Amino acid sequence: MTTPPEMRDLALRLLAYEAGEAKTSATQGSAAYCVYEKLRRSLGAFAGVAGFHSLASRAMALAKSEAPCLSAARVTPDGAVQGLDPGICKSETQSGMEEDRAGAFSAGDGGTILIAYLLGLLLNLLGEALTFSLLRNAWPSEAFDDRTSGNGRKA
Amino acid sequence: MTTQQKVIINKLSTGVPGLDEIVGGGLPEFSFNIIAGAPGSGKTTLAHQFVFANATPERPALYFTVLGESAIKMLRYQQQYTFFDPAKLPGSIRFINLSQVVLAKDLGAVLDEITREVEKANPAVVVVDSFRTMVRKPESDMDLQSFIQRLALFLASWQATTFLIGEYAEDELRDNPIFTVADGLFWLRQTAERNSIVRKLQIIKLRGQDSVPGLHTFRITDAGVQAFSRTFGLSGHVKNPPSQRRLSFGIPELDKMLDGGVREGDSVLIAGSSGTGKSVLATQFIAEGIRHGEPGIVAVFEERPQAYAERATSLGLDLETPQKNGQLAILYLRPLDLSVDETMHSILDAVQRIGAKRLVIDSLAGFEMALSPGFRADFRESLYRMIFALTGIGVTILSTVEVDESFTEFPFSTYSISFLTDDIIRLRYVSIDGQLRKIMVVIKMRGGNHAKDIREYEITSKGVVILGQRLTHYQGLISGIPVHSEPPGNAEVPETGGES
Repeated sequence: MTTPPEMRDLALRLLAYEAGEAKTSATQGSAAYCVYEKLRRSLGAFAGVAGFHSLASRAMALAKSEAPCLSAARVTPDGAVQGLDPGICKSETQSGMEEDRAGAFSAGDGGTILIAYLLGLLLNLLGEALTFSLLRNAWPSEAFDDRTSGNGRKA
Repeated sequence: MTTQQKVIINKLSTGVPGLDEIVGGGLPEFSFNIIAGAPGSGKTTLAHQFVFANATPERPALYFTVLGESAIKMLRYQQQYTFFDPAKLPGSIRFINLSQVVLAKDLGAVLDEITREVEKANPAVVVVDSFRTMVRKPESDMDLQSFIQRLALFLASWQATTFLIGEYAEDELRDNPIFTVADGLFWLRQTAERNSIVRKLQIIKLRGQDSVPGLHTFRITDAGVQAFSRTFGLSGHVKNPPSQRRLSFGIPELDKMLDGGVREGDSVLIAGSSGTGKSVLATQFIAEGIRHGEPGIVAVFEERPQAYAERATSLGLDLETPQKNGQLAILYLRPLDLSVDETMHSILDAVQRIGAKRLVIDSLAGFEMALSPGFRADFRESLYRMIFALTGIGVTILSTVEVDESFTEFPFSTYSISFLTDDIIRLRYVSIDGQLRKIMVVIKMRGGNHAKDIREYEITSKGVVILGQRLTHYQGLISGIPVHSEPPGNAEVPETGGES
């Protein structure tokens, strides 16, 4: 199984947004971590920690089959991810979680793939309308109304 | 205290078709309600409809999920309903999962969390789904009753209309202190009746509201929950005064037998065995009404509307044109699992849509067969409610009923429903001079001086045609096997209209 291009485009768009927000030359891994954390907060609010953990674990399992660089990454019981560089997101993450990142590394494209699979699962389970509602909630200043990725492909 | 000084309680739409009427016009604003029922009874769907009908960005709805159904799965399925508007999420409707708090802490912490979210969002609607799952922790600091009381107090002060959803078996409803706190208690249930599922809801209590008592059927379709009031949505209607107007069958001789026609607003029963022309008479009744500018409805259960209209065409009656111009609706009510209330809902919709004055139910036997087995037991009672409701708004009902032809008895109906009808016309076969011929007689006409004559009739290409004068040459006509008697002058039919 490979990441659908539409999902990868959408993931890249979110990653680019986070990198832009940080106004640094953030690595893809750190931007992916930021995106992941925002999704975790947004999804966790209504799906619960266990609900988000289940989704993230599934996304991680799928992503690992495509991105060997994620082999050491894992989703912890509270839904956090280990193995993606928290980098620039430290200020945004919940206190006490950064300490778990001793083994963090820049997962590079693996982070994008993980996010893409997570978005794909959401689309699959909740449908386009609700998924984009969630994304709009997590990224209120980003326009998702066109429901297209940065490359113009329909998400 | 004068009327002016009393507080006015706003009523909120439930968002559930039919339910507003059942709860007395809408749900009281700021009320604290419990929806109870077994799993799968429609509790969550009902709550969702209320939420989607009332939540706004300014006064959103907070939907707290606890343990039980996953929120993701719940949304996955609920969005299939037509009332589900994804654009309302998360601005107007916010789902908040409390499972972690419930699992890790106690009910006090849950209350704190709800309080925090409510104070932050200022919601108009709060739902806790399912509140009963919160008491699975034995070490809870607060018991559920205390939790509910504090929650009710808090949410009323914050001017939120609240629904708590809980899985309860029927015997748990009695003397349950939790329910004393609630302003409203909605009980949903579904039961299997042979191969059919019957869903019913009951408003066990609803403070300050004149709700309709009893069990109301409801159905869950792709539009969500739809409720059917036992009073068919007519509880607020004033019964029309009896009309003196007579409605024609379009058969002059029959109109004469009926003292000028059927009295408007009557319930007429045409009883006879198969092939005696019950449906033909009914069709002529409807067609004559349309000729006089009285829209009509035919509810058929045993054949499709197209077939019904084609049969009318063979009698020279055009039912196609009035259907096109909105004067006639032929309703085919899909069989096997209907409730009377659902059937009534379809009929009433049509009555209101086209302003119908005449209604034909063809036939009662088909109607009964179309019902879910559980409703067949209540058929007579249901018929009574239906006829009372419809005639009360001035609709004249003509029902057909098939009776077993007996040559020893003269039953009016196999359903013992003659008491429900104002007028009864009986059709039957008789054996005369080596032919199987047909006779009709008006058995009963409430408040009318109907003819006592037994008349022979035929079904021709023009419909029912009544032949000649009353049959005076025979005795025992209603037995079906009359005996030829003396010629007129010594007529064997007594003045009382009874047969010898």
